[in-house]
Amino acid sequence: MRNIRECKLYVVSGEQYHPGRGLLEVMEAAIRGGADIVQLRDKEAPKRELLRKAEALRELTRRLGALFIVNDHPDIALAAEADGVHLGQEDLPVEAARRMLGPDRIVGVSTHALPQAVAAERAGADYIGVGPVYPTGTKPERAAVTLSYVSEAARAVRIPFFAIGGIQPGNAEDVLAAGARRLCAVSAIVGSPDPEEAARRLRGYIERWEFESPSGMPASGGVRLIVNGREGVTNAGTLLELAAEYRLADRRVVAERNGEVVPRAGWSEVPVREDDRIEFVHFVGGG
Amino acid sequence: MDRSTNGLVIGGTTLRSRLFLGTGRYPSPVVMRQALAASGAHVVTFAIRRVNLDGVAEDTVLQHFSDRELVYLPNTSGAADADEAVRIARLARAAGLGDWVKVEISAHPRSLLPDPLETLRATERLAAEGFVVLPYTSDDPMLCKRLEEAGAAAVMPGGSPIGTGLGILNPYNLGWIAEEARVPVIVDAGLGSAADAAQAMELGADGILVNTPVARARDPVAMAEAMRLAIEAGRLSRLAGRIPKKRYATASSEPEGRLFAAAEPRSGNAPAGASRGGAR
Repeated sequence: MRNIRECKLYVVSGEQYHPGRGLLEVMEAAIRGGADIVQLRDKEAPKRELLRKAEALRELTRRLGALFIVNDHPDIALAAEADGVHLGQEDLPVEAARRMLGPDRIVGVSTHALPQAVAAERAGADYIGVGPVYPTGTKPERAAVTLSYVSEAARAVRIPFFAIGGIQPGNAEDVLAAGARRLCAVSAIVGSPDPEEAARRLRGYIERWEFESPSGMPASGGVRLIVNGREGVTNAGTLLELAAEYRLADRRVVAERNGEVVPRAGWSEVPVREDDRIEFVHFVGGG
Repeated sequence: MDRSTNGLVIGGTTLRSRLFLGTGRYPSPVVMRQALAASGAHVVTFAIRRVNLDGVAEDTVLQHFSDRELVYLPNTSGAADADEAVRIARLARAAGLGDWVKVEISAHPRSLLPDPLETLRATERLAAEGFVVLPYTSDDPMLCKRLEEAGAAAVMPGGSPIGTGLGILNPYNLGWIAEEARVPVIVDAGLGSAADAAQAMELGADGILVNTPVARARDPVAMAEAMRLAIEAGRLSRLAGRIPKKRYATASSEPEGRLFAAAEPRSGNAPAGASRGGAR
């Protein structure tokens, strides 16, 4: 099973956004597009129906390797063997949910201001939602908290936080620039005519931002070379420094320079020069 | 004694299973792990690809197997000739996960059939460099012999083109290969279901390699188990020795003591229905 810390894109169900299309169809598309954690949120359905939906989503997420969270109801989460529960500020306190679910299941909390975030972290929440960043149709009554709360959370919160509320491909980069590393979307994914593509775009922004954030950005000026078939410019003096620029230094990858394998132990000694052809490769699924 | 696995040694390693499992195209890593467990496979195959420099979160397939004791068999897919295959093999070995390699050189984009000459060249060179070389090859008995002479640790003739599920198109050739080979024969590519796996084993193969038929089955985990059982069944059937095929029936019971006289053969001119005078 996944760890919540590995999760980057959170999708919350909202069947009102996709009339005529099934819950499972839409959520499966979202997962295939890159959502790695899924929440069942349905304020209308009677509990028995909610449980049926939860069981179906449990089966789907287990098959596709995504985490599954139930909104509001620890009993439904337990009955459906969900990975955890998500609580609003008016729902059960974290401690009560924790007693019901035990230490291994996930408890997440919606927060709308820094004091709530700090309290949730102290109470033992595994993650928090930070928002709504923008005004949203999912929660029309709640005022947007704006990007400043995202930046505060990025500085003060140590557990994973998902920015939520009105997030869509058009504003995702602003939210990431404010310090978010994880995003949550409802209507932008499930209300899209193509939920898989919507999820893929959001996921793409998250990963690109990680890649381009200061520690990972290859600098400009310096040596021109070709890395994995693509022209690039680097200030790196050695293969190890080049790998670090691409955030590959601590990953299980193998390097080749101008057609010759360079054993990892030699990365720090092997120079990178103008017009070098470097390959970084790894194992992928195959037959 | 477990007759179904007894005796399969490749590259000095005694294998726990005669099923080699590919790791591509599963619905998710979780399903892949479960399928691997259900298959009982000891050897798992991989491909080598460029790291995606834009998507650093993507991670190597290996993280899903770190807790298992497996033999890793990287393939050289994507190579169009022996030079490229050798480069890929060296990169794979540099990952530090052993020195097995499946030579896979496909020169034709639609059939993905192996290029026999380049496959032979690559096998020769890699064997000389100390690799345990398992070439994916055409189902040609003479070519398999040449590969064996070039130093292949096993030969892997295809049943039919990769991913087609067409099964074993030339059982006659495959039977010859199995009969002649002095190295293990692993039938690779084209198998579609458990029946094909059992057939391969009955023809005398020492093992099979499957990926697509498991990964793309409606229930990959169940199909992985079916493949495991089919290999055992096919292997036992081979060892047990099948009866010869005959044109005419032989009753399972002795004729002595039967209650009624044996039926006379009907005349070939009078169809059974006509002589009965019209049942309807």
